[in-house]
Amino acid sequence: MSSLARSVPFSFGRLGIVAGNTFLEAVRQKLFNFLLLLAVALVASAQLFREFNFGSSELKFIADFGFGSMVFFGSTLTIAATAQLFFSEIENRTALTLLAKPIWRTEFIFGKLLGVLAVVGVFCALTTGLLLVLLYNRETALMAANPEAFEAGRLIHYGDLVLMGVLQWLKFGVLAAITLLVASFSNTNLYTVVMGFFMLVICHLQYLARDAYSQVSALPLRLLVQGLSYVFPNFQVFNLADQIGIGQGIDPTVFLRVGAYALTYIAVFGGLAVYSFSQREI
Amino acid sequence: MTPPLPRPAIAITGLTKDFALNLRGVKLRAVDNLTLAVPEGQVFGLLGPNGSGKSTTIKIILGLLEPTAGECQVFGVPSGRVDSRLNVGYLPEAPYFYRYLSGTELVRFYGRICGVPKARLAERVREVIDWVGLSAAAHRRVGTYSKGMLQRIGLAQALVHDPRLIILDEPTAGVDPVGSAEISELILKLKTQGKTVLITSHLLAQIEDICDRVAILDRGKLILEGAVPDLVGRQDQQALLVDALPPAELAELQGWLAARGHTLNAVEQPRTRLDQLFLSKVARAPKDGGHS
Repeated sequence: MSSLARSVPFSFGRLGIVAGNTFLEAVRQKLFNFLLLLAVALVASAQLFREFNFGSSELKFIADFGFGSMVFFGSTLTIAATAQLFFSEIENRTALTLLAKPIWRTEFIFGKLLGVLAVVGVFCALTTGLLLVLLYNRETALMAANPEAFEAGRLIHYGDLVLMGVLQWLKFGVLAAITLLVASFSNTNLYTVVMGFFMLVICHLQYLARDAYSQVSALPLRLLVQGLSYVFPNFQVFNLADQIGIGQGIDPTVFLRVGAYALTYIAVFGGLAVYSFSQREI
Repeated sequence: MTPPLPRPAIAITGLTKDFALNLRGVKLRAVDNLTLAVPEGQVFGLLGPNGSGKSTTIKIILGLLEPTAGECQVFGVPSGRVDSRLNVGYLPEAPYFYRYLSGTELVRFYGRICGVPKARLAERVREVIDWVGLSAAAHRRVGTYSKGMLQRIGLAQALVHDPRLIILDEPTAGVDPVGSAEISELILKLKTQGKTVLITSHLLAQIEDICDRVAILDRGKLILEGAVPDLVGRQDQQALLVDALPPAELAELQGWLAARGHTLNAVEQPRTRLDQLFLSKVARAPKDGGHS
C-alpha cells in the first residue's frame, strides 16, 4: 500500500498554473476594462496639459501627475483585484475542488499572489508606457518651441521613469501580500477591501508616527514604535519621484535596496498568509 | 460464507470532528467516533439525512478538514498529507468550477495540477471528455453548461489523472432521471475498470442498484454498515414470480402450501419501478452536447 504513496514536493510549476489561471480570470472577467478606462483618462488629461506650456517644470508636473494617478488607481486595483480573485475561489467554492487535488496551500496562496502581481504588472507597464509617450511628445514639442532651454539635450531620464514604474509595481506587490494576508482569515470580500485600504493608509503614514515618537524618551514606547515600524512597511521609500525627471536620476543602489525591501515584505506577508490559510477550514 | 473484504482504499478509525460554534467554546459534533473501511475496487455508498456528517467525512478524507480525533488513511497514507490525494478524484456536491473556462480548458487545468504528463495531457483530456459524453460542448464556456453537463464535466475533471479512488458527493443532485441513469452507468463502468467509488446520494434506489456496500450515518454516528444484498435481503421469506393464476388455481396453490405448513403471505401484481418506466418511455437525448 505504501508503494502508492510518493511524496509531493513543492512545485513552482503548480504555483505557475494557479497564477496563470488567476490572471486568465482577471482577463476574462473583464478586470482589464478598468485599465482601458484609465488609459483613456490619461490620454484625455494629456490634452489639457498642452494648454500650460510653462517649460521644463511642466514636464515634472506631468511626471508627478502620472505617477500620482498610478499610485491612486494602482492601489485601488491591487486591493480590489486581490480580494476579488481570492474570494471568487472561496465564495464560488472552486477552492474546494482545487485543494482536493495534490496541491500545497503554499502553492495556492503564492499562485494567487503571483497572478495578482501579473495583473498589476500589466497595469504598471501600461500606465508607465503611456506616461513615457506623453512626456516624450510634450518634451519634443517644448524643445521645438523653446530650444535654448534644452541646449544640453533632453531633460527627462526615461530609463529612471521605467525604474520608478518597477518600484511602484513592487509596492503594489507588498500591498497585494498584505491584502492576501487579511483575506486568508477574513470571511468577506468587503472586510478584506476595507482592511486593505486601512493598511494602505497606515503604510503611507507610518513614517509620520515614527518621526513623532522618535522624540519620545520612554524606552518601552520607543521600542514599541520601532517594532511597529518594522511590522508595517514604509510606503514612502518607494516614492523616488523627486529624484527623477529633471536633471536628477535614481541611484541604482537605492533602487536595489528598495527592491530588496519590497521582496522581503512580500515574502514575509505571503508566508503569514500561507500559515493563516493553512489553519482555515474550507 | 462471505468472502474476505479487499484491502481498504479508505480506512477511518475513531474519527471525530467538532466545529466551534462560538468563542465561548460551544461545539457542534459533526462526526462522532466513526470507524469505517471502504474496500478497494467496490462502489461504496455513504448515506444519511442532511447534517448526518457525510460531507464532513468526505472533506476529512480529502484533507480539507483536520479531524478533532481519530485518523483517516487513503491507500495507507494519512489523509492530511498532500500525497494522499495523488490517487483520488473528487466530484463536489453541486459542482463549482471556473465559469470563464471552456470544458476542455477546465479539465486541462486540473490535469496539469494533478501532474498529468504534458505529452499525454491533450489526449487524456479528450479521452475523459469523450468518456463522459461532452465532446460536442467541450469548447463552450462552463458557465453556459446545464446542471447535468456540469456533473459530467465534474466527473471528467475527477478522472483526468486516472485516480484509483473516486469520491462523488451527490453526483445526481438536481439531474433529471436520464442524466442520473447515465451517471449510474458511468459509475458501474468505473467499477469494471477496478476503481473504488465512494458515493453519497439521497436517491436510495440508485444507491441500491450500483453499490456493493453502504454505510448509514445519523447525527455523525455510524448506525448501519454492510453489503447491500445482506442489508436489504430478507432471509426468512422468498418471492416466486409466476404467470397470472385464475382464482381456482390460486386457491389450490394456497391449499398445497397450507398442507405443508407454509403460508401464502401476499398475492401482488409485480410493478415496474417508476424510474425504469420513465427511462423506457423517454427517448435518450444524444450524448454529445448534453441535456439539462
